[in-house]
Amino acid sequence: MPAILSAEQITKSYVIGDRQIAVLDDVSFDVQPGEFVVIMGSSGSGKSTLLSVLSGLDQPSRGRIRIDGVDVTDWSEDRLAPIRNSTFGFVFQSFHLVPSLNALENVAFPAELRGDKDARTRARTLLERVGLGGRTTNFPHQLSGGEKQRVAICRALVNDPKIIFADEPTGNLDSKNGAGIIDLLIQLHRERQTTLVLVTHAPEVAEHAGRVITLADGKVVGDEYREENANGQRSTVN
Amino acid sequence: MTLLHPTFIRRQLATTRSQSLIFVLCVALSMVTLVALRGFGDSVDRALTRDARALIGADVVVQSNFAFDPAVDSAVEAIAARGAAETARTWEFYSVVRRPGEDGSLLSNLKVVDAGWPFYGTVELASGAALRAVLAPGRVIVEQALLDRLGVQVGDALRIGDATLTIADVITFEPDRPTTFFSLGPRVLVDGGDLAALNLVNPGSRVTYRWLLKAADPAAVDDLADEVRTVADRDFVRIDTFRTARTGVERFFTNFLFFLSLVGIFTLMLAGIGIQSSLTAFLRERHGTIAVAKTLGASSRFVTVNFYIVVLLLGAIGALLGILLGFVLQWTLPALLSGFLPPDIELTISTRAVVESALLGLVVVLLFTFLPLYRLEGLRPSFIFRKEEPPIVNRLPFALTLLLILGLFTGLVIWQLGDVRTALWFAGGALVLLLIAALLTEAALQLLKRWDVRWLPGRQALRGLFRPRNGTRAIVITLSTALGVLFCIFVIEQNLRASFVQSYPPDAPNVFFLDIQPDQQEAFAATLGMEADYVPAVRAALMAVNGAEPRRNPEGEDRGNGGEGGPEGGDGRRSPQYTLTYRAALAEGEMLVRGDSLFGDAETVNPVSVLQETADARGIDLGDVLSFNIQGVPLDATVTSIRKQDAGSVQPFFGFVFAPDVLTAAPQTIFTGVRVAPDEIAALQNRMVAAFPNVTVIDVTATIAQFASVVQRITQVVRFFSAFSILAGLLIVISSVYATRLARVQEAAYYKVLGATGGWVTAVFALENVLLGLLSAALALLMAQVAAWAIMTWLFELEYRFLPDASVAMIAITIAAVMLVGMVASIGILRSRPINFLRLQTENE
Repeated sequence: MPAILSAEQITKSYVIGDRQIAVLDDVSFDVQPGEFVVIMGSSGSGKSTLLSVLSGLDQPSRGRIRIDGVDVTDWSEDRLAPIRNSTFGFVFQSFHLVPSLNALENVAFPAELRGDKDARTRARTLLERVGLGGRTTNFPHQLSGGEKQRVAICRALVNDPKIIFADEPTGNLDSKNGAGIIDLLIQLHRERQTTLVLVTHAPEVAEHAGRVITLADGKVVGDEYREENANGQRSTVN
Repeated sequence: MTLLHPTFIRRQLATTRSQSLIFVLCVALSMVTLVALRGFGDSVDRALTRDARALIGADVVVQSNFAFDPAVDSAVEAIAARGAAETARTWEFYSVVRRPGEDGSLLSNLKVVDAGWPFYGTVELASGAALRAVLAPGRVIVEQALLDRLGVQVGDALRIGDATLTIADVITFEPDRPTTFFSLGPRVLVDGGDLAALNLVNPGSRVTYRWLLKAADPAAVDDLADEVRTVADRDFVRIDTFRTARTGVERFFTNFLFFLSLVGIFTLMLAGIGIQSSLTAFLRERHGTIAVAKTLGASSRFVTVNFYIVVLLLGAIGALLGILLGFVLQWTLPALLSGFLPPDIELTISTRAVVESALLGLVVVLLFTFLPLYRLEGLRPSFIFRKEEPPIVNRLPFALTLLLILGLFTGLVIWQLGDVRTALWFAGGALVLLLIAALLTEAALQLLKRWDVRWLPGRQALRGLFRPRNGTRAIVITLSTALGVLFCIFVIEQNLRASFVQSYPPDAPNVFFLDIQPDQQEAFAATLGMEADYVPAVRAALMAVNGAEPRRNPEGEDRGNGGEGGPEGGDGRRSPQYTLTYRAALAEGEMLVRGDSLFGDAETVNPVSVLQETADARGIDLGDVLSFNIQGVPLDATVTSIRKQDAGSVQPFFGFVFAPDVLTAAPQTIFTGVRVAPDEIAALQNRMVAAFPNVTVIDVTATIAQFASVVQRITQVVRFFSAFSILAGLLIVISSVYATRLARVQEAAYYKVLGATGGWVTAVFALENVLLGLLSAALALLMAQVAAWAIMTWLFELEYRFLPDASVAMIAITIAAVMLVGMVASIGILRSRPINFLRLQTENE
């Protein structure tokens, strides 16, 4: 099966003052459709930068990014817009909900942007699915951290994307809420067979993934596939 | 603990330049018009004081609209005889002048002058010759306009009254007539020796008679004036020295500059909102610094004092800029007011103007920065770190502060206007206007907030108006108030123009003939050869109402009443002058307001009907006994009715209408008006003036057009000044964009991350500015139209026109301006890539 997402020799560096700092250094891997990939690493290892580059939010200094075999590395913001809208879904650590929209409007927004007439119905269904059926008219500032993240997950799913990018989705949540969010993401990933690329520094989150890519100082230092046993626990297969 | 921290202050000044720049510009804007007007007003005052003698051409001027009583002439001649003063007479009146033997006549403003006139100032002639070297019996000096309009030149003959005189030169400057403000016709100077030959000064003619005196001893000016006063009838003769004479120029400038000062204060008030708004945004950008400083142990006092210094320094830069721009603007005013100005006006920057302007700047900065700085006191670091809005904990000091600001603002207005009553009315009115604008804005925003827009860009644009810290309220209030006032002035001007110029009734007379002598009436009617109403006019003074002095009415009656209508200013002791008429019935467009019939029952002695405005102005009621002095003859009359005349009527307004038999024998002139095709006016004028040289012909359409052009020029100046207040609104738009920059960057980033194109995001932001402009313009339109309707209907009692084209244009221009300013300020935001914002957010976590 062709890879849904390919990173080929990705390098990303920034110039700060008179210094050039390499954040990613020759990173390459493929992601298959339906995979649940966790990108692990300590703070500053370059994992969030890698997610930004993979999702087209940022451009690599060198290397290529392919989506479904199409090289999108040099695509303009506007050319990437429909991909971000329908092919990708995003979940961020800081939720990034539009403050002026209520929960329902936030979820429906990407679908409305696409011109989907059933956007609100789909959004409502999703919110009910995550247990927020009673909070549809609440604005972000009226929601708890866990609720905000559930709204963000619904928003990421509303256009049935092929890939969900989640950047430290539990980073701003307490452990109970964090665990709930991870469970929800896994459930939705299984139900919809959506590819999930998740960045985290928490090993307990990585335990649920089918594949764990480990970064250190911008380099891939580990790429493990994991198998789930009958008890639902995963163990390394390679 | 140290209270002042120079490095802290320097850093605050050096960073976040956009809001500081807007703050500085708002401070400058608040002062610029007032500084310019104050400096300009001083210059005009100086010019008028310097030229006070030249403006009346003498030390003492004795003036009357009637031939002087022999006692006055004797008194002046006695003064001259004993060498206490040089004297000269002038006679000023309108008459039609003609090219002898040819077609072509023109209503002109004649001034017949004795040798000696003017005692002060110099009449400048095109030839460069001295006045007296040119002006002699048989010769006249005319304005260039007369040569142009009659097609004659120097050396040609000119028929004036019964005399034929030679045009000897062209007058380029006349010291006691320095403005071309409004005149029915060009000036013609005639030597006093030709007065009798003209045969134009007859009993009842509309002539202004003057004696000019040049005192031999400058200290004796007042004594000479008093000496003439002792013999003069104060009801008919006005005596002024160069110190007491308020010339038309002075009155015009006093009133006009006062009005422009009101506009200036209005701008100051709106710029004040800009100062508050930009300072609030400026301080918000420093919340992080304040939070850290407070966490590290800085007291609230430290923060407030240091920021006060920052604000005062920025304010000083703004004030300096305001003063500089004010003086620059002052230099442009002569061009704007050309033709209205005193001669040789010297624009200087006086120390007083600089000190007063600096003081104004200080008051403005302290006044409008107090509230945002006061709020710093209660700012806790925890609120800033949690990105929450700090609550207003104690409302009493807040309310007291507001009251203090209101008090200071009123004080500022009183200081600037120098008239407590007007200042209080203005301050109150301006605050009520702002309050109305604020209430309307709030109501409109509440409605908009509830509007469930399904169209996505529209919904997002609408939501943008309500993003936290968006200056929507401040922008809409400021812009709608500024635009409202500006547009209201425009609508009223256009309505007045439409009522008086464009809508001149097609069947109403357009040519009027004045000063027809009673014995000429029959021959005049035969020569005229068309049907016309002949209206007698009797000039008189109203001496008493029920034996008491008539009520003084400083503002005068609202409309002309067929005569001079009230005292001519100055000493304020003269009895009001009126032109009376007599007829048997109500005229067209008139109706009785009180009284059963125009002249009551037959037993009433000397019945008189009074125009409602005149009755209101003078405190006259039904049954009152009015005492008139008709050119020396006393007459008591009883008020039998109060009349009202349709405001749009083109019939002459007469304050007092008598029954025919009462005034038939009084000295009078007759006037009439006819409707003539415009291309026939000149021929008719020539024919009638050739036959009746003493008759004055007025072409109303030409007069109205000239009046309209003067009104238009004045409103242009007003508009120019009012435009500064709109700048305040636009500065707040920029301030608001900068204040909400982060929120806008955030929105743009989210939209793009979720799949919106750059074009879509631009459209949403543009639409938001369209909404902002539309809302401001719509509220401005509402306030302007309601105010203009009220003023036209109740004050002017004229038909009101909505002006749909201009209204649409105002809305379109406002939207375009707001969108342009808003989008230019947003360019950086629209260009930013979403990753930059997301990275920044991650760093801040």
